[in-house]
Amino acid sequence: MNGKKVAILGFLFVVLVVLAVVFFTSGIKDKIIPATPASPPEVEPLPAQPGQTQTVVLFFLSEEDTLLHPEEREIPADSSVVRQAKRTIVELIKGSQKGYISPFPPEARLIELYVTDEGVAYVDFSKEIVEKHLSGSSAEISTIFSVVNSLAYNFDSIEKVFILIDGRERETLGGHINLSRPFLPLYDLIAR
Amino acid sequence: MLSLRKRSAQITGAVLLFLLLSVGSVSQIQPFLKLSVRDYEEFSRVIIAPSFPLSFEIEKGSSFLLVKIAIDIPFRIQREPFDSRIVKSFGWTKGRDYYILTIKTKIRDFSHDYFVIKDPTQLVIDFKEGADESRGDRDIRSLLDSTVSREGEQASAEEIQTIVIDPGHGGRMEPGAQGKYGTLEKDITLALALKLKDVIERNRPVRVVLTRDTDVSVSLENRAAIANTNKADLFISIHVNSSFRKEARGSETFFLGTEALDDEARRLAYLENNPADVERGIGGDNEDEITMILWDMAQSAYLKESSLLAETIQEELNHLLGTKNRGIKQIPFKVLTGVACPAVLVEVAFISNPDEERKLLTEWFQNNVVEAIYRGVESYIDRYARR
Repeated sequence: MNGKKVAILGFLFVVLVVLAVVFFTSGIKDKIIPATPASPPEVEPLPAQPGQTQTVVLFFLSEEDTLLHPEEREIPADSSVVRQAKRTIVELIKGSQKGYISPFPPEARLIELYVTDEGVAYVDFSKEIVEKHLSGSSAEISTIFSVVNSLAYNFDSIEKVFILIDGRERETLGGHINLSRPFLPLYDLIAR
Repeated sequence: MLSLRKRSAQITGAVLLFLLLSVGSVSQIQPFLKLSVRDYEEFSRVIIAPSFPLSFEIEKGSSFLLVKIAIDIPFRIQREPFDSRIVKSFGWTKGRDYYILTIKTKIRDFSHDYFVIKDPTQLVIDFKEGADESRGDRDIRSLLDSTVSREGEQASAEEIQTIVIDPGHGGRMEPGAQGKYGTLEKDITLALALKLKDVIERNRPVRVVLTRDTDVSVSLENRAAIANTNKADLFISIHVNSSFRKEARGSETFFLGTEALDDEARRLAYLENNPADVERGIGGDNEDEITMILWDMAQSAYLKESSLLAETIQEELNHLLGTKNRGIKQIPFKVLTGVACPAVLVEVAFISNPDEERKLLTEWFQNNVVEAIYRGVESYIDRYARR
């Protein structure tokens, strides 16, 4: 071997080592990324970061018109859509802080809420939402669409909302609007 | 397609039209043409209502629709302000003996369907998002062909023989909404339904069937079933409204929102493609199951007619009662989904509003409401169906 050949071989060796290092480290990187989940699993609730909040928009009624009026509300920051959706509905049932009208009987409670992979939120209310309801078309429309719009508006992963009462499917709240299928939001009902 | 030359012709036309209009406005008895746009859940509707006989041609462009209207005299245009998902704006071009109305759309992919209504003449053009004409569309179109005239041809429509009136709620367990003074929705709806039956039968040779004529409970599905087994040609559900808002007042007429029907349609398609499941019987008597599914979808074939019935009734309610116009809306009402004919739900007034509750108890108000609904039905029959 002459000096020139050694130099070429040496150069090739260095290139090979560099390529190998790049190849393997990038390989390790690829393997590591999926091992750290982008979002923590729903079963392990993260304690809310003290001080950190997220703004959600809730929809209420007003004496002004027949539309749903937006009201912003701060809820503790949290990476779980389900927990944020629950907090949103709990805040919605609590009522407005700006004097808007609540489209819920005051006795109504949220029992459970879950979201499917297909983007359907199942919202389970206590039976008071039916028993204490006003039973009129307009009253039903405002109750249903304040829930549906408040969820779909704030959370991209919620497309449709299915309303359950006491863990079960129900035909209507008070004899009018069909609850047996999921609702899409009706943004036409929102005041601008 | 609009060429550049046509486009400049359009501008000149618009200027010409403006000049003609400003000169013509001196005259009182000038012909006019009214344009209105209204959005529904699934389509946007443009209504062209001329005061003169209408002869027209329609041509579709990539993001506009041209309506060539044959007329050689100037006319006034009345346009209502609108905000539509699909319709962007209107433009006018004048030809020698015609005008061209350009309806510009916000989207490129749209389909349209149109029909003509007589007395007064109206050209109704419905715009739908998406370029494809679905099979369902064509079904509705052929259905409409049989009930309204198209391009000036005289229609031969189905006769209205049976009207089913549905007094909302009923029975001890389902009183419906309740007023401050203790008035129950179920009593008012029954009183109104009995009066309406009486008025219709006295004035028209039609059979009127009530889904209940006493204070009994009838399930929502059975109300639709009563309509279908009686071969109803029109279905009118009468309700009294209630709201969390104290100030809520006025009457409102609803027809079905179809978003709710999508899932059922998919289920039916599934059953058609998987007959084995049907034979095995999903949850009991499979024939009943299929019948129920079909009935659940029944109303989807009548949405356009239902929208027209809702409009004629609401028009009369606004006119006669002088109540605040709450308009017509598309909402998935359970009672309407299974009805296989044009169907509406009328919310007469708000029992949650003490003023309106008091009114609802009076004979004159009840008679006025019945009169208004009757006139709405009459005008629907006169305009869209053969007597």
